Amino acid sequence: MHPMRDKIAVAGVGASPQGKFPGATPITLATTAFKRALDDCGLKKEQIDGILTMPGTTSPEGALNYLRFGEAVGINPRYTGSKNMGGGTAGALLHEAAMAVHCGFANYVACVFGDTAATGGNKFNRASGWGDSWGIWGFMAAAANSAITASRHMALYGTTSRQLGEIAVACRRHASMNPEAVMRTPITIEDHQASRFIVEPLHLLDCCLISDGAVCVIVTSAERAKDLRQPLVTIAGMGQAYTTENMEREDWWYVPHQKMAVADAYAMAGVGPRDIDVAQLYDNFTSSVLVWFEHAGFCKVGEAGSFVEGGRIQLGGELPINTAGGNLSESYMEGWLHLVEGVRQMRGQCGERQVQGAEVCLVTGRGQALNCANATILKKG
Amino acid sequence: MTTTAEYTKPLPTLTDDNRPFWDACRDKRLSMQQCDGCGHIRFPINHICPRCLSEKFHWQTLSGRGTVFSYIVFHQVYNKAFAQDVPYNVALVQLEEGPRLYSNVVGVPNDAVKVGDSLEVVFDAVTPEITLPRFRLAG
Repeated sequence: MHPMRDKIAVAGVGASPQGKFPGATPITLATTAFKRALDDCGLKKEQIDGILTMPGTTSPEGALNYLRFGEAVGINPRYTGSKNMGGGTAGALLHEAAMAVHCGFANYVACVFGDTAATGGNKFNRASGWGDSWGIWGFMAAAANSAITASRHMALYGTTSRQLGEIAVACRRHASMNPEAVMRTPITIEDHQASRFIVEPLHLLDCCLISDGAVCVIVTSAERAKDLRQPLVTIAGMGQAYTTENMEREDWWYVPHQKMAVADAYAMAGVGPRDIDVAQLYDNFTSSVLVWFEHAGFCKVGEAGSFVEGGRIQLGGELPINTAGGNLSESYMEGWLHLVEGVRQMRGQCGERQVQGAEVCLVTGRGQALNCANATILKKG
Repeated sequence: MTTTAEYTKPLPTLTDDNRPFWDACRDKRLSMQQCDGCGHIRFPINHICPRCLSEKFHWQTLSGRGTVFSYIVFHQVYNKAFAQDVPYNVALVQLEEGPRLYSNVVGVPNDAVKVGDSLEVVFDAVTPEITLPRFRLAG
């Protein structure tokens, strides 16, 4: 058995208000999230001896974000650093925090992300390749990479835009049950189809939000977590994998590393797809969720389009996903809120959107130009 | 697309590494680096072979033939230089010698192009210095 299985806990979670807050900065929002995470688990800030941060797209200090955050909250940590893998960062930092705790580098690690992307003016207009490469031909922005995946999946397997719409509809329905969500008005497949194209085949309602906000999760050992305020939620499995080559890999569009990351997490946890009660699947675009179903073994390669139909991925269905609304409808916290919702589902604190009897949750992350992937299995108790 | 003094779209920054690629395009040839150590034809341009790490290579003229590997159409204006062009297409092109690159399919409406269609390269001189490889449907 893996030596870290069930040994580490996510003891505290906290989020700032989500939306658009002119005048706020990534640091002001991050300290709010941090204080809420402390309140959530009952720790004092003096007990936090590890800080891991992800700089927001609008954080001026970039990779030195950990110094700015530590200064803001007056903590001089034993273990710290910042990492930026886009939407792959939340999971990667959670895993790093777990390793730091397991190895004794810190006892209580706060993982923090804050951003003001909605207010701060990130227009995502750079070329989606190194340097100036692909913008020469007009290929730019994050939607382009996911549109490449969607287009080829559609061509090879007959996946349809309406099937992508099922994912958007499910996330919005779940957000409608989440008072903290930014977009709470339910949508239909017809709304999805009628929304304008952004990068065809992706419509506006295939795309995530752009949001101001911050999130903090606090990691400690399962033993220490038992003495804290909340029901115990442990990390049963973790996996990461990366494809750094884009053009050089024929299967890059299909993000093969996602399958590796989930497989590692399953192996560490000793579970498989049939054990997953609820999943928080990284959804920068609906097409990203589509391939997660295949990579996580919920359906076969090419069959995700029909898998998502008929309410299967909604609350009350066989595999509810993104039960707080996800990046698509809750708030674009680059997957950090997926961790929060996973923890709350395992605690049984989700109110009307609680998946009854849920004991195992898969949380996934992905980032950059399809390059970074991670998976975490959270477990009740 | 025409050559004008006011070309405002992104252009490559010429370096010693990439200048032979763009010189060949101006000469209406699609040319990529072939490793002298393992024979791998690589793209994007790289000073070292990502397969065998050899630094020895030569520039190999390719056939310019390929197929549409994936295909998308930009409706959103991310860069105002493309405002007059939307909706415009970008294809991920699978070249017959192995490498892949992004480019545009010209000469047909956006909805006339499908994944799997055969392509051949054409050259578009957008400035006196830079000629872009684009593609048209091949019969």
